[in-house]
Amino acid sequence: MDSSFDGTAAAGSRGAALEAAQECAAIAADLERLKALITDAGDRLLASFNQVGEVAPRLAGAAAAQAQLSSAVTTAVTALQFQDMATQLTQHAQVRLNALERCLSALGTDFDDPLLQATRMQPVRQTQMSAGSIDLF
Amino acid sequence: MHSILAVDDSASMRQMVAFTLKGAGYNVIEAADGAEALEKAKGARVDLVLTDQNMPRMDGISLVRNLRGLPHYNGTPILILTTESSDEMKAKGKAAGATGWLVKPFDPNRLLDVIKKVIR
Repeated sequence: MDSSFDGTAAAGSRGAALEAAQECAAIAADLERLKALITDAGDRLLASFNQVGEVAPRLAGAAAAQAQLSSAVTTAVTALQFQDMATQLTQHAQVRLNALERCLSALGTDFDDPLLQATRMQPVRQTQMSAGSIDLF
Repeated sequence: MHSILAVDDSASMRQMVAFTLKGAGYNVIEAADGAEALEKAKGARVDLVLTDQNMPRMDGISLVRNLRGLPHYNGTPILILTTESSDEMKAKGKAAGATGWLVKPFDPNRLLDVIKKVIR
């Protein structure tokens, strides 16, 4: 294989890696916006939840209605924990994307980035908001 | 009234935990990370610690280790409430001296049942 072909192929690989690195940076920026949206939505929901929590005990009603309200509040407490989980997940994805971006920018010379390896363990594996497991030791 | 130290770097999680525990009649002391929790635990005796794992400054397992080194906390129930669900992390928590491992999100009624079971 002649050297001019090797040089062209290498330049093409470098170009593709740099392009991929730019894509990683763009995705990380999208995740930052997503995190801001989640935080804003979560804060607003919590403010509404607190207002309901203040008013609800003062409302007179039938026992059945009180039980229904209590059940709804319990469900809301579980669901409102989404903000913490979603924020952790997006932060984790951002850290991995940043590490991947650095690797690609280095044109494949350092794909064993220690940060990329260190962040392979996923802190959030849940896929839904039903309550998690409990282990007593 | 029993006092519970609730530790989480997420303000929304602390709010949900405090809402649940106060509604059940517990006194709740809040801390935003392990280091703050350790200081508060030294200053006020609490009956149970409910802590997150992944936090800045000091994580939950380090907090457990530090608390277990204090004479007043060698028998206090310490529950870790976290998104981490791997057996490896649970084993680390158990080895550090945690009383139990609860995976987020928590169901308020189940959380209160567990607390009733372990609190003295």
